[in-house]
Amino acid sequence: MLQSLGKGEGRASEELLPLVYEELRRHAAVRMAQESAAQTLQPTALVHEAWLRVVGKGGQKWLNRAHFFGAASEAMRRILIENARRRSRLKRGGDAVRVDIDQLDLAETGPEEKILLIDEAIERLQALDPEKARVVVMKFFGGHTNQEVAESLGVNERTVERHWAYAKAWLFQNIRSQS
Amino acid sequence: MNTDSTNREEELFDAARRMTESGARRAFLESECGGDGRLRGRVEALLSSSDEADRFFAESTSALIAIELAGERTRGGTPMLPRDWAEGIGTRIDRYKLVQKVGEGGCGVVYLAEQEEPVRRRVALKIIRLGMESHSVIARFEAERQALAMMDHPNIARVFDAGETERGSPYFVMEYVQGVKITSYCDQHRLPIRQRLDLFIQICHAIQHAHQKGIVHGDIKPSNIIVSLHDGIPIPKVIDFGISKATEGRFSDATASWAGLPLVGTPAYMSPEQMEMGGLDVDTRSDIYSLGVLLYELLTGRTPFDAQQLLKEGVEAMRSRLYELDAVRPSLCAHELDPQELGRVAQVRGCRGSRLIALLRGDLDGIVLKALEKDRRRRYETANGFALDVQRHLVNEPVMARPSRWGYRLQKLVRRNRGVFAAGGAVAVALIMGTGVSTWLFLKEREARQRAVAAEQQQTRLRQEAEKREQVTQAALLVSQERFAEADRLLDGLSLTDATLEGAAVFRALGEWHALNERWREAADRFGILLRVNQLDGADVTSLDYLERGPALIELGDVAAYERFRQEAIIRFADGSPHFAERVVKISLLTPANDRLLEDLEPYGRVAREAYMEAASSGQAFEAAWRAMSLGLLAYRTGNYSDAVSWCERCLSSPDFNAPRMAAAQAILAMAQARLGRESAAGMALEAAREMMESRTRGRRDRGTPVQGFWFDWAFARILLREGEQQIEELAPRS
Repeated sequence: MLQSLGKGEGRASEELLPLVYEELRRHAAVRMAQESAAQTLQPTALVHEAWLRVVGKGGQKWLNRAHFFGAASEAMRRILIENARRRSRLKRGGDAVRVDIDQLDLAETGPEEKILLIDEAIERLQALDPEKARVVVMKFFGGHTNQEVAESLGVNERTVERHWAYAKAWLFQNIRSQS
Repeated sequence: MNTDSTNREEELFDAARRMTESGARRAFLESECGGDGRLRGRVEALLSSSDEADRFFAESTSALIAIELAGERTRGGTPMLPRDWAEGIGTRIDRYKLVQKVGEGGCGVVYLAEQEEPVRRRVALKIIRLGMESHSVIARFEAERQALAMMDHPNIARVFDAGETERGSPYFVMEYVQGVKITSYCDQHRLPIRQRLDLFIQICHAIQHAHQKGIVHGDIKPSNIIVSLHDGIPIPKVIDFGISKATEGRFSDATASWAGLPLVGTPAYMSPEQMEMGGLDVDTRSDIYSLGVLLYELLTGRTPFDAQQLLKEGVEAMRSRLYELDAVRPSLCAHELDPQELGRVAQVRGCRGSRLIALLRGDLDGIVLKALEKDRRRRYETANGFALDVQRHLVNEPVMARPSRWGYRLQKLVRRNRGVFAAGGAVAVALIMGTGVSTWLFLKEREARQRAVAAEQQQTRLRQEAEKREQVTQAALLVSQERFAEADRLLDGLSLTDATLEGAAVFRALGEWHALNERWREAADRFGILLRVNQLDGADVTSLDYLERGPALIELGDVAAYERFRQEAIIRFADGSPHFAERVVKISLLTPANDRLLEDLEPYGRVAREAYMEAASSGQAFEAAWRAMSLGLLAYRTGNYSDAVSWCERCLSSPDFNAPRMAAAQAILAMAQARLGRESAAGMALEAAREMMESRTRGRRDRGTPVQGFWFDWAFARILLREGEQQIEELAPRS
């Protein structure tokens, strides 16, 4: 089914939808659970958008589910970054498109800024070590479990754990050293 | 830098991280890095900030969620532009001045505000969160306001006013409830169980009020119930009906989206049906479930299911596990805590660990588990019903959630009237029990006879009797404390020559306890004594006692004893009242009977048939169904198979649901159909009987959990089912 999706058949896309939708929702739910009990969410909007973006490409060839998840996480990342930029821009008013790092003190950054900083740091990591960067994207933006990431990247869980722990420290260091 | 060097760094980082001893770590890095100072420096920097990094990412995850929420668009496709008053303290909205942000949740933010006119007071002002002003969210916000405005109850936060800001964001003004969430309040003040239950009852009443207005709360959890003090009295208030549904569809329901399936709510508190895809078939009983979780937490300090743990496996896994997993009953949950944790939990409940477990065991276990039933038909029907059961527990009356048995009732009786029992005397018991005329008379007569007998007795015999009674009384006390094994031991080998009501009750309770645990020999023994106790008096034995011995004997395999038993039963009830006739028939036909016995049973059959007619015509579904079953059994044993089939079908079509009876009827039906050569019908009925039996074993068999149906009804069904299985196998064509 995933394969026929690659051929751009709209119908297959619909059939696939419930299957994968559930998966996408689940990730949002995992994050929700990590939050304090006071927070209740509507994850569907996010998931909906992510799905449309991922499937709408049509030309992309999906090899398997794991492959799809990697892409979905990437899509989610883009959506979130867009939202973060938009909000940040609105908060600051005017035309500032990129966050001006020099003017930020890490301790006082708002949520949007944090996300943007992380995203930029990930891009830097990506240039150096794409595999570790993919782990970060899948875990952080996609909310995947270690097992799922392992499946997607074709490594074992232990490796994923290692990458994640290291990458977090690396990114944090990187962000701090920029300001 | 390249991949190789990052891999090397990672390797070192990973290995060093696991070394908890800093000396070892340093040594390791020194040897591994050799002279490469830069490498070492980088790894050390990573190590030193790794905790902070973890925290940073955890916080950022919340940031992600905040951004997700804000991403919702309006239909027009462009987001509403927030202006800068977001955190504007001192900002005015109409006649309210914002003082401080006090909370966030769902689609709104709550501020403490000061109302300026017509009266100065503090209020809570809830306004739609920035960036969330889409149609669906606004509609839901409005729904919440309307829901709250409809309610008028001391334990529900009141709505005073509503409006729109200049920008068009809707807001509403509520009673400002200052306090802490209920679980925190109870722990901070070390409230004992009784007081917690009192607060809980008030919350039930509040929810009941909402239900009566057609509102299902949908998100009951501790953070939505705030306890504040008014004149030193703690008052719990329910706040935040943010995701409540109006059951009459008066408001636009904003929970559906294009695929209709958001996961809205708090996992630990959500009922199984709320977890279901859609959560659209949610009703007041979901609130009952959540109330059950709340009570569980108030009692034990934790929720029945650890949602975090479950969610790690994914939402689907969580859902199916929640359907499979039975909640561990509160007393057992407490019991399984490690001693330190138990001590802490008990301390904030003003008692010791062992005492806490004892307090929770029994009633509270039953009540909580009833509210947490997966099948919502088995939960409390109403929040008030729930509250009432808790109240009954508080005044030591029998609780609905627990099966109603002599042993249990006796236990309650003793507890309610400790003083009287201590003083002793069957008279006192009789005065208090008031369980019915026949028992009363029974007691009165016995009283008189006892005095006569005592007067004739010799000294030593009197003393012996007194000692035995002492033992019985002691055993009764042990039974009331659920120390069945000790009570049983005490009475072992005791042959009662004197009949007391207490004795009867104790032996019955012990017999049942053995039977529940399938110790048939002991059960039969105890019931045997019980019967003898009753026999001593010569007064009419409630056939219920008699019933209990029958299945026990069969399970025991004592065929001869069973034969004797049933013949005796027929004789004993010769002048039987209609009430007993059906039971005699039932008891006597657990195994095939010879012609002589069947002949003797004819008159009973006649009476039972009349009794059936009467019950059926006066709409007593329960009695009619039981009578039909017995008549079906009788018809089968006398070889009237088609009659048997129609009696069983009549029983099964009854509106009254009773699993063991239905299982028995299916078993009889199966056998009758088989005899009539209708193989497939027989097979289906047998399958149905098996399924019913399965449903019984899905529950648990100890006294702490209610199992539907008396144990002997189940034993009945099981015996008949066994026979059915055997017989159908024999009759099956050999191929």
